[in-house]
Amino acid sequence: MAEARKSMIKFKPKKFNVGDTIKVDFIVIHPMETGTRKDKKTGNIKPAKYIDNITFLLDGKPFTTMKVWETVSTNPYFSVNLKVPGKGKITVDYTDNTGEKNTKSKKLKPKG
Amino acid sequence: MERRNFIKSICAASAVAATITPSALLAKEAPKGGNILSYDAAVAAITGGKTVTDSSKVALTVPEIAENGAVVPVKVNVESPMTDADHVKAIHVLSTKNGNARCADVMLTPLNGKGYFATRIKLAGTQDVVALVELSNGSFLRAAKPVKVTIGGCG
Repeated sequence: MAEARKSMIKFKPKKFNVGDTIKVDFIVIHPMETGTRKDKKTGNIKPAKYIDNITFLLDGKPFTTMKVWETVSTNPYFSVNLKVPGKGKITVDYTDNTGEKNTKSKKLKPKG
Repeated sequence: MERRNFIKSICAASAVAATITPSALLAKEAPKGGNILSYDAAVAAITGGKTVTDSSKVALTVPEIAENGAVVPVKVNVESPMTDADHVKAIHVLSTKNGNARCADVMLTPLNGKGYFATRIKLAGTQDVVALVELSNGSFLRAAKPVKVTIGGCG
């Protein structure tokens, strides 16, 4: 079942104009379990659980797609650039290997 | 007739066994759907046998010594005009000695404005981090840097 995950989209710098190239940072709270670790209490192997597909969309149109494996750190952080074409909405869709789907969006508000 | 039928049934049974065993073996070899690839296999899968050239256009930023292998920041910057005709198509982040060599495949478009990607990865031990960059003309560039890991992060 899809559960609400804590995630965050950040624009760097915070204030920008149309035509600027900004960083779009995406952080999500996720265990990124490799499937090889043992639970110290029970001795059972923890099943793999990691994000495997991420799509960055601008007004519903994908501009960056990623395929990710369990070798990415816990609570992963991804950063890409974006040349701001104008006002819009950034959406990040992500799924993990167990089929859990989540989405997060933030409005893109350039100054000029 | 009975003997003939008996032999036939044995043949059929062995044929069934022969078809079942390979698939059972495969399932054992790849418990996670064939996701795990060694470094060489991963490079071959990405490039498809094309030549990869080391280039100074790819700037890979990693720490020289990582105290904690569970969190190693990786930054890739590629010099590119990022126009429709000439842009960075993909950035692949790989490690040479992790159980699974692949960390992230990032497909970029001209909308990105710059060939840039940053993330944090796990490293099982001291090894090289490799950035494989695919350009829109189909050529591959590569940059690699060693990272010393004091505590491994793929426990």
